[in-house]
Amino acid sequence: MNNDSATASRQLLATILESSPALQDPATLEGVADLIEKVSPLLQGRRLHNIVDFLAAASDVIEMTDDAMIQKLMTLYEESIGGVWAITNALQYASAQAGHKEAPPTLWKSIRRLNNDENARRGLDTAVNLMSELGRQSKISGQSFLED
Amino acid sequence: MMKNIIVVGGGIGGTMTANNLVRKLYPEIKSGRTRVTLISNSHWHYYKPAFMYVAFGKFFKNELRRPLASLLRPEINFLLDQVEGFEFKNSRLRMRSGDVHDYDYLVVSTGCIPAPERIEGLQEAGDHFYQHDPARQLFEKLSTIEKGRIFIGVTFPKTPNVPHQCGIAPIETTLMLDEFLRQRGVRDKIEIVYTYPTISQLTRNCLFLQKPTGEVLPSIFDSKDIKHKRGFTLASVDPENNVAVSEEGDEEDFDILMQTPPIRAVDAVLDSNVSQSPNHEGWLPTDRQSLQLEGFENVFIIGDTVDLPISKAGGSCHNQSPVICNNIAGLMRTGKTVDEYDGKVQAIAQMGMEAGMPLWYDYDEDVKPTPPTKIGGLMRKGFNRGIYWSVARGLI
Repeated sequence: MNNDSATASRQLLATILESSPALQDPATLEGVADLIEKVSPLLQGRRLHNIVDFLAAASDVIEMTDDAMIQKLMTLYEESIGGVWAITNALQYASAQAGHKEAPPTLWKSIRRLNNDENARRGLDTAVNLMSELGRQSKISGQSFLED
Repeated sequence: MMKNIIVVGGGIGGTMTANNLVRKLYPEIKSGRTRVTLISNSHWHYYKPAFMYVAFGKFFKNELRRPLASLLRPEINFLLDQVEGFEFKNSRLRMRSGDVHDYDYLVVSTGCIPAPERIEGLQEAGDHFYQHDPARQLFEKLSTIEKGRIFIGVTFPKTPNVPHQCGIAPIETTLMLDEFLRQRGVRDKIEIVYTYPTISQLTRNCLFLQKPTGEVLPSIFDSKDIKHKRGFTLASVDPENNVAVSEEGDEEDFDILMQTPPIRAVDAVLDSNVSQSPNHEGWLPTDRQSLQLEGFENVFIIGDTVDLPISKAGGSCHNQSPVICNNIAGLMRTGKTVDEYDGKVQAIAQMGMEAGMPLWYDYDEDVKPTPPTKIGGLMRKGFNRGIYWSVARGLI
């Protein structure tokens, strides 16, 4: 950039700044002065560069995000939060029920309830299914496979 | 003696309130002194705002609903039944099944239902996106139209200062429609006309029910070549000739009529004879601060069934629900209500297919429109696809 064009650019910038209504407000100028005070050590130490790079990366992520990514991320969110919510609720509910009784039922009564209560049997079946699936995955991870 | 709290309605207001009540009253519930019951006539909970996306092929039915029981805490007693009679004076509900339920506190969250049959010819010739099947039908038309005129209109309740369902939805869908038709490559052959009635709550001859937003709309619509017209209050539709006739005396032809229909409360609320709304609309007289049904200290109203001047939308329920829970807890524990609703509503408006605009307002402050952004659009999509279900569970 030669001297003439540099001077013209500076004049153009000055014109823009002078014509900005916000910059005519003393409160704005005071705020800007405060910010410059705060930012100047970051500028001098080249540390503000990291913030700009971070904003650029965040902006890139926003640009790259599409419907499919949102749907996948939100499915993950709902399944995680919903799952934790359901388990903690069930634990809290079960614990409150158990704690409410003066004395816990005998082992025989518990076994009889397990046998008669359809939901309890289904819960046991769920636990057995879970253990079966964990076992299947353990078997896979424990296997040694032949090299390609 | 055990206190019975009954929540009627499994939409967003009822679901989140039942969950919030359990959290608020957990000591009483844990000790067996209080029971929360939710009554719904459906096993399903629908995310109703997603119906408008169905009209543009962006949501499938199973993506916008969940089994209602999966959204409720285990302490809630869920009953699949329908209220046939509200006996507010006796604190009693009469059910379709023949059962009778007495309550100590009641939350009415029965919503509203579209009633296109209340305008002559609208049922036959009009379309809307406020329920799944009509939205699906609208999608068939929007995805096949090649040329012509899409006429958009809005019907307000006759009750003074009560809005239609989801105030911003007509603007959202108009902007989505513009982009949808551009993506299909047929926009230049289809005229879009957005209209608004002469009387819209407290405003007259505007393009929106709040002035600040109404004033920015012409420039937005002009930039997208969307025609706009004030003072068109739909009076009747001629289905044979596809002509919409207004109360102001205008006649407009159309190929697709996308009309926000009249709405009303559900039958049991209408039949309770407590509402003083004209036109048999059924909005229940609700105290604007405590949200109690006027004349009945132990009954609270939430969501679309209120007669308040705030949006009939989930963003209203989100702010009403904590007030109702606090007030029920206050009545049970101290004998008086302890919280007041300030009319706050918040949402993220879908401004076209990609952009979004967060907005909020209350009894005193109108929406201050801001430029729609891609981040706003991502926030809305994130809400649609996941965060909503946390709201229903009372987590957010």
